[in-house]
Amino acid sequence: MKETILSIPSPLGPPTDLLKFSWEGTPIKETVSIVGGIQGNHLNGIYLCSRLIRFLDAVEAEIEPDYILKGRIQVIPAVNLPAFQEGNRLWSFDDLDMDLAFPGNDQGEVAEQIAAAVYQHTKDSQFGIILNNADNHYEDAPHLVCMNPDNLTKDFARSLGPPNAREPENSPALRLCLYNQWTENRLPSVILSAGKPNHLDRALCETLFAGLVNSLLWTGVLVNKRKKTKKYPVRFNNRNNEKFVFAGAGGFFLLLVQPGSEIKKGQKIGEIVDMYSGTVIDSPLAQSDGYLVTLRDYPVVYQKEVLAVLLKKQKFSFWPF
Amino acid sequence: MESRAIVSYQTPSGQRVEVVKQTFSSVRKRPAKRVAFVSGLHGNELEGIYLCHLLIRYLQNLQRTQPKAFQGEVHIYPAVNPQAISAGSRLWPFFSQDINRQFGGDNGNSLPAQSASELLDDLKSSVDIAVDFHASNLHLKEAPQIRILDGLHKNLLPLAIQCNVDLIWVHPASPMFESTLGYNLNQARVKTLVIETGVGLRLHRKFADQLFQGMLNLLHHTGVLVDTGSLPKIDPPVIAHPSQVALLQSRYAGLFVGHSDLKKNVAKGEVIGEVLSATDGEVLQEVTAPESGFLFTVREHPLVYPGAPLARIALRDEGCP
Ligand SMILES: [Zn+2]
Repeated sequence: MKETILSIPSPLGPPTDLLKFSWEGTPIKETVSIVGGIQGNHLNGIYLCSRLIRFLDAVEAEIEPDYILKGRIQVIPAVNLPAFQEGNRLWSFDDLDMDLAFPGNDQGEVAEQIAAAVYQHTKDSQFGIILNNADNHYEDAPHLVCMNPDNLTKDFARSLGPPNAREPENSPALRLCLYNQWTENRLPSVILSAGKPNHLDRALCETLFAGLVNSLLWTGVLVNKRKKTKKYPVRFNNRNNEKFVFAGAGGFFLLLVQPGSEIKKGQKIGEIVDMYSGTVIDSPLAQSDGYLVTLRDYPVVYQKEVLAVLLKKQKFSFWPF
Repeated sequence: MESRAIVSYQTPSGQRVEVVKQTFSSVRKRPAKRVAFVSGLHGNELEGIYLCHLLIRYLQNLQRTQPKAFQGEVHIYPAVNPQAISAGSRLWPFFSQDINRQFGGDNGNSLPAQSASELLDDLKSSVDIAVDFHASNLHLKEAPQIRILDGLHKNLLPLAIQCNVDLIWVHPASPMFESTLGYNLNQARVKTLVIETGVGLRLHRKFADQLFQGMLNLLHHTGVLVDTGSLPKIDPPVIAHPSQVALLQSRYAGLFVGHSDLKKNVAKGEVIGEVLSATDGEVLQEVTAPESGFLFTVREHPLVYPGAPLARIALRDEGCP
């Protein structure tokens, strides 16, 4: 079902219509909510939602004969629609970070009304997934973000595919994010972050799509008569395991590594060259071994900026199951 | 006056950006009190930058003519977000981040987060009292006011009434404030007043002169300055608690046309403005004062969506003349 859950008229142009897509099987036991486009330029997530919508419509129409709906699945593909339509992360009218507007206010300004509608429609779900990509200027290897996951959330995370989970920054601003509102409401949830803003990586999305379908099977809202649910190994990294590589100078950053690769201590991750002369002025090195989860994508850098985030292996070997 | 850079980094083209602190030292070994003035966290809020100019000019002259007047220490941070100020934008341009949502906790390692933490550390280590100047955004015009979070008012009101503002608004607490400079300084026991005045990208000399007198009075009241001649003349503010502030909002999308400027005595029923249809001749909403009081906020940005704030009124106390 396609539903307009909020329609905000505009002074002149078309209204901002916030859409929710949902599918129900019987008996309804559980609801899984999937939310994308909290930032207007997080395109992989929005595209992934369209893949899911097409697939679940086919399941509902019995064109995907092996699959049966057993619960409720709801997808809100583009939360910050005004910013998406502008081609920006933020909507220029208010310059507000939509992910600092939760739980929102249905009597407030546009961003607050949208946040309130998204939160109200998802807060009573049994599982939640937020689809993001890296912040502006960065590229993320596919990974999950979750805070103090309990065993249920860990198993949920293991159904999605990416091999690493990180903890979010523990900042006061986190309290205003949809993810934090969900966890405060005891909704087992994860953020799935992959790729870079302003880009749509179809091959990456196909991999993530398979993981999302697997996670729906794991939750039981979707059943496949032939397929068994897969359980993938996930390393749950804490913040202390994150090692940063910083820019020692401003200039062009010419990278030598790829996100998702294993990096050795002392390995050169790139070079910073003077923007006029091309002279190498800094050769940033990895300070430890680790999995390269986030890498600078935009080549223009300021001194002191983060160029790479490495997930250092924990001392104790992990036990994925 | 001594100048010191408290934050410094190199741009991609090799130039340096510095956040400068101007210090007027005390003639005493142990200064009476140490007071800071901070402006320009948001680069489109220029009133505070002008106020810092007035203060620096006055204090430089005073230091030449009456060095003994300085019993305490004054630290002025006139432009703490230089790149946003250069662009006249609220957000730090390259990162599209609001630096006043980057304080406190573990906010990651972005350049805005690093700068926020260096500024906070510098203030915590060098002052007892701080004044953080803000103008409003581009949407609303504000009478000179101090906003104090409910719960901090007992501590801060005695200082706030010295500042020659028109209004002290004791504001309901919200998680949104926990990532601001003001909140985190108050948590660190640096008594901090947050001033809002005027509108984004504009200067109001009358407001600046009024606040300048207030800041001089604050410096005398706290014993930082003594014997400078006649004391600045200040007026007592209106003090409004959360229940005493009425917010008027637009019910429609359209054009808001204001009929009234900020005014101390708006009468019940008085017309403050109208919301008009942008496409036909219709008046959608007549905006009138629900009660008499101090009209301390009026909308400047004519484009409105439903829920947009149009005006705020500090309601007159029952029984007061
Ligand atoms: Zn501000």
